[in-house]
Amino acid sequence: MLDELTRPLRVSADLQHEVEQFLYLEAALLDDRRLRKWLDLLADDIEYTLDTNSLAQFRDRRRGWAPPTTYIFHEDKYQLERRVARVETGQAWAEEPASRTRHFVTNVRVLAQADDELVVGCNYLVHRASKAHDHHSFIGTRRDTLRRIPAPDGGETFIIARRRLELDEFTLMSANVSIIL
Amino acid sequence: MDDDQIRSLVDSRNGTVKPAIYSDAQLYELELERVFGRTWLFLAHESQIPNPGDFFNTFMGEDPVLVVRQKDGSVQVMMNQCRHRGMKLCHADSGNTKAFTCPYHGWAYQVDGALQSVPLEKEAYRGKLDKSKWGLIKAPRVENYKGLIFANWDESAPDLTTYLGDMAWYLDGFLDRREGGTEVVGGVHKWMIDCNWKFAAEQFCSDQYHAPYTHASAIQVLAPTPQNKPDGSPLGDGQTERPAWANGLGGVQFAGKGHGSAFFFTENADANVWVGGEVSAYFRETYPEAEARLGKVRALRLAGHNTMFPTLSWLNGTQTLRVWHPRGPGRIEVWVFCIADKAAPPEVKEALKKSHARAFGPAGFLEQDDSENWIEVQKVLRGHKARQTDFCMQMGLGFEERREDGIPGITNGTFAETAARGFYQRWVDLMTGKSWNEIEAAGAAWEQEVIDA
Repeated sequence: MLDELTRPLRVSADLQHEVEQFLYLEAALLDDRRLRKWLDLLADDIEYTLDTNSLAQFRDRRRGWAPPTTYIFHEDKYQLERRVARVETGQAWAEEPASRTRHFVTNVRVLAQADDELVVGCNYLVHRASKAHDHHSFIGTRRDTLRRIPAPDGGETFIIARRRLELDEFTLMSANVSIIL
Repeated sequence: MDDDQIRSLVDSRNGTVKPAIYSDAQLYELELERVFGRTWLFLAHESQIPNPGDFFNTFMGEDPVLVVRQKDGSVQVMMNQCRHRGMKLCHADSGNTKAFTCPYHGWAYQVDGALQSVPLEKEAYRGKLDKSKWGLIKAPRVENYKGLIFANWDESAPDLTTYLGDMAWYLDGFLDRREGGTEVVGGVHKWMIDCNWKFAAEQFCSDQYHAPYTHASAIQVLAPTPQNKPDGSPLGDGQTERPAWANGLGGVQFAGKGHGSAFFFTENADANVWVGGEVSAYFRETYPEAEARLGKVRALRLAGHNTMFPTLSWLNGTQTLRVWHPRGPGRIEVWVFCIADKAAPPEVKEALKKSHARAFGPAGFLEQDDSENWIEVQKVLRGHKARQTDFCMQMGLGFEERREDGIPGITNGTFAETAARGFYQRWVDLMTGKSWNEIEAAGAAWEQEVIDA
């Protein structure tokens, strides 16, 4: 259904602004390495996934067949928390000393809304600088389900109920993915 | 580089290697010819190409090859390179086709590699092109070992079973746990690591020593302790309480013909702590069948690392099977497959796919730390002094033995570098251009010598 969206969904400038500000806040928490605060933005039932890509012939795609893919991430909240805990040990060598990251979020579109949930699409670019000279970029698109919940200080806020990441590379050009995308 | 110079780089008797073997461009070019041009290389699992016309696109060393299921059910391996101007014929990872047609000038080949048609054949070649002479180059040797398809360019190489030697016993422990054999679950993880292929292959061949320190972070955060989860339960519901190696009653390292393996003894039919609960339960439930087929030691050997020389590695339990495709002296392209018993239920295969990615995919809790080490060593080897300085490879030197309990091959304690020494001995024997008869004799002599020492 969402794939058939060929005209922008009519959303208010306020809602667009609110969604963008939430995504920028999330990016800032990751880049500032406030990873425990970032975990607070995730719903307890979050499903966080990233699959591999595969190169298929056009004729195979036309027949509805493509080479199988597999997960790079298929995490629940506990597993994401363990990833944060791993970095906190100080012995996660891919992140020791820690990388600096810069998360860019763009092409933000509200794709659907129902009750207290919004489906939001965006493109992302994550730049990772690590050790003395290593720079890597992760570029892709993602689809998030944002859930509206009451904010502790009154009003409302979002949490991320589902994140489906896609990465554009077919063969990852970095040796590992030790950061949160 | 002449043979004497190459021989001076490795001293497997005294346990030293010169790190130039990981960085020298000239040696790398020789490796493509003398190692990757002569050894049995893993290409694909038979489950990936079930039907006629199915192909899987991969590499032998740096040479691109297509592994193709034929109409008669056999498998052929051919260069993914047009005979006209050398263009790569096919860029899809896998698929099904009736022909491979070159994107450059349109030469088309049948799935058996025969040149089928050439555009404007009559006008351009005036009937003078003998198409029967311009089929795709094929690997002359292709063998299937319990589902794994291997090929070899060298017609004089020993058959695959001879090449494996005692390693077959260890490989069977991975492939032959249940009736029906294995299959690949999901797709292939592919990523690049800036390191020499031998670092990765040697680690899986021999290096159990790195695990407690390199993987310290994963061990801390994934262990089932109250700190990690309030109720003390480990990652994944119902998961095995302790990893097999936590109850380790000693362990064994194996070396033979350049291959290597190591594992711990255990009394528990559990997989590693890092697999999901469904996977652990599955290993426990299917243990009786595995024991009947493999015996107790191998059926329980759910934690262990292995390399079949030169570049096929696997870990039992987390079921990762990987190839370290060389990409120059300082780079590899890692291809990782998740292997499951065909008879396992779908939900176990799905759980295995998740566990596998979590532990040993490119974002895996354990994988991340391994690659980091190899990259940093490779960077240091840019230095002149760093390349000349001997590496110490003497762990367990002089304690090799042959066991009486049926575990085959040259063995040592699990924390040893016997398999690394055997790995580099085989590398030198291949690199100095010995015939296969000489290589096999030299390997046997090395094994006898370390036992007698």
